Amino acid sequence: MAYSDKVVDHYNNPRNVGTLDKGSAEVGTGLVGAPECGDVMRLQIRVNPETQVIEEAKFKTFGCGSAIASSSLATEWIKGRKVEEALAIKNTDIVKELSLPPVKIHCSVLAEDAIRAAIGDWKKKNGVAETAEAVAVTAAH
Amino acid sequence: MLNAQESTITTAASAACWACSAQLEAAALFCAQCGKIQPPSGGNFFAVFELVPRLNLDLGMLEHQFHRLSRKLHPDRFARASAEEKEWSLAQSSLLNDAYRTLKDPLARTYYLLKLNGAEIGEEFAGRNRPENEMGTSRVPADLLEEVFELNMQLEEMRMGRKMGEVDEQLQSDLKQAEKKFLGLEDEVDEKLHAEWTNWDEAAESGDETARDAAQKSMIALLDRRRYLSNLVRDVTETLGE
Repeated sequence: MAYSDKVVDHYNNPRNVGTLDKGSAEVGTGLVGAPECGDVMRLQIRVNPETQVIEEAKFKTFGCGSAIASSSLATEWIKGRKVEEALAIKNTDIVKELSLPPVKIHCSVLAEDAIRAAIGDWKKKNGVAETAEAVAVTAAH
Repeated sequence: MLNAQESTITTAASAACWACSAQLEAAALFCAQCGKIQPPSGGNFFAVFELVPRLNLDLGMLEHQFHRLSRKLHPDRFARASAEEKEWSLAQSSLLNDAYRTLKDPLARTYYLLKLNGAEIGEEFAGRNRPENEMGTSRVPADLLEEVFELNMQLEEMRMGRKMGEVDEQLQSDLKQAEKKFLGLEDEVDEKLHAEWTNWDEAAESGDETARDAAQKSMIALLDRRRYLSNLVRDVTETLGE
């Protein structure tokens, strides 16, 4: 199966590969896996506590080219976004951008999962409520 | 004369032989009455061998049946048969081979039987149909992911060292050690899997659906773990062979 040029580009020059300090309160870590193919993906974010902007995003993925490209693209997209904006990224956006074939759609799902898991971890660490509505309710009280 | 199209509609247990109208067993390759080849009926792999779906199989028996049926389906036997019968014998032959390949392999057999029972496993189900509220969660337990990630990191480090030209004996023995460890972990999974086979078979025998579902669930988790481990084994073996 031929990979699209964008997948090949991300695979050959993955953006933001690396590790952030898991112990830091500003860092959220998401570790997810697709048992069907044995992929495992770790995505980390460092959030500015003042602005809620994701200032740094790093990933490390063991898996196929599409899984690596999906997570590489995901870190590129969430960097500079606010946490709530990053949650708006859908796996279908990744599918479109990378022209993933149907058999590789699960790689994009894994990347979306990783974003959500990383943000979830950061929220848990910082006592932020899960949804935007919940934030509003807590703020009102 | 029935054509193949119609015959696939009239499958199930009530199908009748196209030649003598005798009742057919599900997925029967031949009519028990007149011995004529039958069109493929879309029956499951176990039925091809006249077996009930079970995980503990007599592999000697399976092989014996495979050879017996292969001989009966040999093209030479259909040299003077009608074009339709020739076509059916080829189709049945390919079904028989698929069925044999799947059932004789312990993992393939487990996957097949679980899918037959509605389990959504295997690559075609990866990431599909996941409810929105389960996004960001993983079917794989967190500790397994941690372990697999860690093992992958170690393996990558060793491979990097290898690429940089470090062919020292320490590295080689680390890799061998890792391979041994992964293979050992695979064996552990297989042992547990075999125990669940028996649980499943017994539950299927007695019609205990709760026990069967429990065995099924635990087999799915074991197969997930197995997949990660076989990837690690593949990678480490590849590295050792480089």
